[in-house]
Amino acid sequence: MSRIDRDPAARSRLIGALAMLVILWPLFQAAEVKPGVLFDPGNLKVIGNFLAGFLPPETGNEFLGYLAKATLETLAIATAGMALAFLIAVPMGYLASGAGREKATLNPVTRSLLTILRGIPELVWALIFVRVFGLGPAAGVLALGLTYGGMLAKVYAEILESVDAAPARALRHNGADRPLAILYGLIPQASKELASYTVYRWECAIRASVVMGFVGAGGLGQLMDQAMKMLNGGEAATILLAFMVLVFAADGFSGWLRRALDTPPANRASPFGWRSGGLGLALVVSIVASFSYLEIGLKSLLTLGPAFDSVVVEAARSIGEFVAGFFPPDLSAEWLAKVGKGIWETLAISVVGTLLAAVAGLLLALPKWRAPFSFLLNTLRSVPELVWATITALAVGLGPFAGALALALHTAGVLGRLYAEALDNAPPAPGQALRLAGAPGGFAFLYGTLPGAAPQLIAYTLYRWEMNIRMAAILGFVGAGGLGQLLYFELSLFHHAQASTVIIAMLLLSIAVDQASAWLRRAMR
Amino acid sequence: MNFSTLRRLALTGALACAAVAALSPMAPAFANDVVLRVSAIPDEAPTELQRKFAPLGKYLEAQTGMKVVFTPVTDYAAVVESLATRKIDLAWLGGFTFVQAKIRTQGTTAGTAIPIAQREEDSKFTSKFITADPSIKVLADLKGKTFAFGAPSSTSGSLMPRFFLQQAGLNPEKDFKNVAFSGAHDATVAFVAAGKAEAGVLNASVWDKLVEAKKVDTDKVRVFATTPTYFDYNWTVRGDLDPALVKKLTDAFLKLDPANPEHKEILALQRAARFIPTKKENYDGIEKAAHAAGLLK
Repeated sequence: MSRIDRDPAARSRLIGALAMLVILWPLFQAAEVKPGVLFDPGNLKVIGNFLAGFLPPETGNEFLGYLAKATLETLAIATAGMALAFLIAVPMGYLASGAGREKATLNPVTRSLLTILRGIPELVWALIFVRVFGLGPAAGVLALGLTYGGMLAKVYAEILESVDAAPARALRHNGADRPLAILYGLIPQASKELASYTVYRWECAIRASVVMGFVGAGGLGQLMDQAMKMLNGGEAATILLAFMVLVFAADGFSGWLRRALDTPPANRASPFGWRSGGLGLALVVSIVASFSYLEIGLKSLLTLGPAFDSVVVEAARSIGEFVAGFFPPDLSAEWLAKVGKGIWETLAISVVGTLLAAVAGLLLALPKWRAPFSFLLNTLRSVPELVWATITALAVGLGPFAGALALALHTAGVLGRLYAEALDNAPPAPGQALRLAGAPGGFAFLYGTLPGAAPQLIAYTLYRWEMNIRMAAILGFVGAGGLGQLLYFELSLFHHAQASTVIIAMLLLSIAVDQASAWLRRAMR
Repeated sequence: MNFSTLRRLALTGALACAAVAALSPMAPAFANDVVLRVSAIPDEAPTELQRKFAPLGKYLEAQTGMKVVFTPVTDYAAVVESLATRKIDLAWLGGFTFVQAKIRTQGTTAGTAIPIAQREEDSKFTSKFITADPSIKVLADLKGKTFAFGAPSSTSGSLMPRFFLQQAGLNPEKDFKNVAFSGAHDATVAFVAAGKAEAGVLNASVWDKLVEAKKVDTDKVRVFATTPTYFDYNWTVRGDLDPALVKKLTDAFLKLDPANPEHKEILALQRAARFIPTKKENYDGIEKAAHAAGLLK
């Protein structure tokens, strides 16, 4: 081959590929990846039997009654949790944001508080609140409120920073104080994006509230957990169907709301149209209804004792005692070694799961295949990871590989859809040019379309990896190894000092992954 | 702007909710004397626990003259916390859960939890090791296999089997390929029957019940080892419950007579020949085992 024909980037690509292999190999080892067991006849029979049990779905009246109640509860938990998250997010976002300040200083205290709120998975918050406030939806609402409050606050702060700062600056120079400058200078520009993101988060909250049921926080998840534990396929199938309908409906509704935001307001003097008025009313009614349906008041949070004062004091004391038990965390070398192994396993589950999902997602998103596969994509992503993990554990046995597969299945659905959109939006010219020059379709795709879409694909994959590390940390609750199993075990035994080390490890791991992913995104740009 | 209006509405709505919630009266605080709040560790499926408790609940209502409310839960530790925070009055606890409850409630205003009665069977309880794998014949064969315990804080599904495994020279974390916690005894059987775990351990009483009810295929899943006997389950009351009520409850359990057809049904559902008195010293052995197995620090 002559010098000119050679790929000028060959050397760096080779080094990159080798480095990837060196880094990934031990991770694949730690995740105990053994594709062979997937096709083991014994395992295939087991999972076949379980899936055959899905038919017919359970339709007994008593069960459907439970199901209806649990579905309402899930909706109410998501809505009430979002209301709480909003209450947390507004002041926190205001404090954390550099928007509307004279100098763009950030508030490090609020920022780190937000990182802690977001970094600890909602399932862990739920598990802790279940202990403090007793079983039931209150724990789920609080857990959602805290994690989503953290996320909303961060995104609100960033949205406000990203819009044109000139109007706010002008207002401030004319003597307006910061809240007014933000309210009249920034929010009008950002309101659509803010509202749209909030609605999107509500949709996520519905999925999350299902997952929290796995630790006893009520709703569909609790039913699902029981059905899955008993390997009752018929019940599992009905719950899964109900859940998918709920997710699709929420998806559709939030899409409609977001589109509604895109239509310009009617040309009239009063800002109150039937739509904003109706929506506002519906919002208030649904929030009030959610709280009252869940019967959440202070009274359910506090102990029922003989006298009012002693009740409050005692509840505060018992919560204080509970929280104090978590300090100081156990930092003995022996325990740290165990946690270290858990971290490594969790990291491996998240990396392997995301990579497998990226490959599967790309295949599912290939242009020619897409139409019949969109249903498959939707099914894959509407089944939560924890449910997939129960099924994959049957297929490959308990352990990290089951967790990685569960992540891969769910994420493949999400990434497939995102990839398909990115490929659609990639500039068509290079691919067409190659095809016109006589290149076969595959080459035109690989060298024409794919490079154009690659930055977007990589960004989506890294973003999902950030989500997956949080999920990998909790998959252990259903026996898929990693930090989750350690945490479940220690919390069950009231070993709070040890549990607190695990929670800190989860937090550090998710922060580290966020940083790594941000760095990778920059490096690959 | 339409949506800043919406946002304001949302904010006021949520604030109003919070205010209403905060101001709502604390009425149930006075319901203590008329309602007996009962719960149980979720060692079996919650629906099964409720079915099992129904006739006993009616009997206790008749004996105490109080309304009996049973709250099913899905978490062992939550039952212990509920006793400590006085959210329940009477609880069906495992031996180890009782030890945890005793330690958790010592020196609190809720008073140290008191065990009042146990089934005759609980004084010589055992756990069964089960498998569907023909190559597993003795405990030592478990090396390198996947293994399912019940809940981590279960006495018969986790603590005592772990203790006896340790005495047989096996360390679950080191010697087993993977350790899973199914969460409940009947779930452990489902795990092993489905091949999700190669072997598992559960409480002998639940195993016998599943075999009698033909809910397990004994051609496939078999018992290959049984633990020595130990003290297990009891009914425990909150330490600061009215002593007269404690006496009434204890008598109610002890009075259950297999010769009486109505009582017979209750006893059968509880899988008890009869109830006998118990004391906290009965569980000292479990506390020692828990320390030895590293489950108590």
